[in-house]
Amino acid sequence: MTWQSIEKSLQTQLITMRDSSEIRLPEGNFMFANSLLLDDKHFVTIQGAGIDKTVLSFAQQQSGAEGLKISNCSNIRLKDLTIEDAKGDNIKVTDTYGIEFDGVKSHWNGEPKEENGAYAFYPVLCKNVVIQNCIAAGASDAGIYVGQSDSVTIRYNKVYYNVAGIESENSRWVEIHGNEAFKNTGGILIFDLPGLTQLGHTTRVFNNVMEENNYKNFAPEGNIVAAVPPGTGMMLLATRDIEIFDNQFINNRTSGLAIASYDLVSAMSTEEGSQLNNNIETARQDASYDPYPTGIYVHSNSFENGKLLPTTQNEFGLLFMMKFPFGTPDIVWDGIAPDRESFEFCLENNGEFKFADLDAANDFESLNTDWVAFNCRGTNINPIF
Amino acid sequence: MKGVCRGLAGVVMLSLMAMWGCGSSKQDQPLVLEEVALEGAVVSVGPEKLSDWGLFVGDLKDVSPAPNVRPYEISTPLFTDYAYKERFVRVPDGQSVSYHASEVLKFPEGSVLVKNFFYPADFAEPEQDIRMLETRLLINEGEEWKALTYVWNEDQTEAFLEVAGQSIPVSWTDNKGILQNINYAVPNLNQCKSCHEYKGRFTPIGPTARQLNRQTKTGVSQLAQWTENGFLHGMPADGIPSLPIWEDASSGTLDQRARAWLEVNCAHCHREEGPAKNTGLYLLTSQSEDYRLGIMKPPVAAGRGSANLKFGIVPGQPESSILLHRIQSLDPGVMMPELGRQLVHEEGVVLVTEWIRQM
Repeated sequence: MTWQSIEKSLQTQLITMRDSSEIRLPEGNFMFANSLLLDDKHFVTIQGAGIDKTVLSFAQQQSGAEGLKISNCSNIRLKDLTIEDAKGDNIKVTDTYGIEFDGVKSHWNGEPKEENGAYAFYPVLCKNVVIQNCIAAGASDAGIYVGQSDSVTIRYNKVYYNVAGIESENSRWVEIHGNEAFKNTGGILIFDLPGLTQLGHTTRVFNNVMEENNYKNFAPEGNIVAAVPPGTGMMLLATRDIEIFDNQFINNRTSGLAIASYDLVSAMSTEEGSQLNNNIETARQDASYDPYPTGIYVHSNSFENGKLLPTTQNEFGLLFMMKFPFGTPDIVWDGIAPDRESFEFCLENNGEFKFADLDAANDFESLNTDWVAFNCRGTNINPIF
Repeated sequence: MKGVCRGLAGVVMLSLMAMWGCGSSKQDQPLVLEEVALEGAVVSVGPEKLSDWGLFVGDLKDVSPAPNVRPYEISTPLFTDYAYKERFVRVPDGQSVSYHASEVLKFPEGSVLVKNFFYPADFAEPEQDIRMLETRLLINEGEEWKALTYVWNEDQTEAFLEVAGQSIPVSWTDNKGILQNINYAVPNLNQCKSCHEYKGRFTPIGPTARQLNRQTKTGVSQLAQWTENGFLHGMPADGIPSLPIWEDASSGTLDQRARAWLEVNCAHCHREEGPAKNTGLYLLTSQSEDYRLGIMKPPVAAGRGSANLKFGIVPGQPESSILLHRIQSLDPGVMMPELGRQLVHEEGVVLVTEWIRQM
């Protein structure tokens, strides 16, 4: 493979280009030594010749925490190119109003490993985010990660060999649909964490296929996704107002859909009691933060799991193996809530599936596989776009 | 826009082996790259030469400031690979700077902040054999500030505008008599803003009242002198904050000095109004919440920067603290700050280590 450098020229153009203009990148393989930065530009398009045709590689990066960083911009479009092998995140977008990725592949080559960057696509503190027809692979945290952002569409993407395929964290008005999430540790995650600039809610997840998300968890410890058990199709954490429908959950060996409180994840990601208490204490200090998920409506999905055994690489997998010797549950709730009535949760028209309410707060004493209490019609969330 | 920026032009063969030789441990062979230029007009962003600004009189290499260009000093500077720095400010004639208790002082439109970066050949003799590397200007254009970076030529007779950044091999003998070699990184203009950002707008960082409130090398009280000269207005008679000198134990307690170091090296991003606000880690000296300082705070988006550790700071356990791990790292995906250094600030790391140990 022949590599060329367009670094000086491209970075100069990114700095000096006028608003409402376009940079066209030709077909070729281009190696970069430093992060590319785009700041304070408006209505700008960066257009390549196609995925795997225009390749921007950061495999020999010497400085900068990401491959491409976009900050304080509006209405930026990135189209038809590949970005790979950055030392940190491949593409970070921050404080930007209007960012669209269309036909972009962002990945790390080789075997998925802890040394890979955290996020392939990483819009944070953004509004009006579109990520479509993209490919994300090899991220040691999340392939597509949207954090502390509003009005987000994630559709028609393929995500594989990441710890989390798609993760929406502390984001509001999010639609995730038509994606294929396979061979990740966890397919799609909707998380809410304490102590950040905003809390998330109102997310629709539909028409996705979450298949064989059984890959080992290779996230560095300390990161919240390091707590995700391999074999998780989808996971909700401490979030609210989520509608999940028309999805296919296939052969995710530990569970199709897991619904957890922040208490549980704190417990899983810490070893000593003191640290656990500290984490929970932190969550409590943030008065606006509710560590318990609620307002969840799961309907019209299909669950199948031909795998006999859950993961053995995670405490929860081991627990499931003990508690559910004849196949693990498709839908799991940790059962932790201030009181059971406060948990608004409806399951409807999901075909045949196995359910478990773990009662994790009481050492699984009242573990229950009956979901009749949650057999109800929930509230549809109006389409956001 | 048709026809612009299409295809490749201006092909220059260039071996980048020297530049990329040592850091690319994962690549077996150094890569030889052909440097090519994209088509497209390059827009001028400012005067091409430093001398065009009229900031210095006489031979430029003597960097002797013009009469209306005022040198100033700050207490705790940002670490930049042990580079020496000299700072100057020019405000338009007849105007003055307005005092602010906590943020950067208000410089009138048209003000220019000037910072020279240089290395003496031997740190034991810092006045001799000086090599000027770059001069950075911050210009107050009214609506917002703008940065321009000028890189000095080999003859040290002129410095030229550099938009896209540059890597310059530099060597010096440090205070322990050890010869140091680095590829000094001149930032590109967007990298400047990676640090110089306040609520999304370009801003100076250094000249706050607490940084400027000190005795200068010549023994005068800097802010008092500015007020006397009519260069500064609005300063109250007392209650002016001051930042300790990070390396001078007589200027503050361990806690005060470590917090000063963290503010100067980290808080331009790690504050509520800075680009790292998404992390929830805030390191201004005014920050009073332990959790916001990283104490028993789990990381948010650290990726492998977490190094399998669970908290930003674990009191008494520097070795378990992500913050310390990241300021000691040289890996671009891990190190903090993200830019502006290729070396570890060993003395700063010692200070922060001790601070965490004694918590």
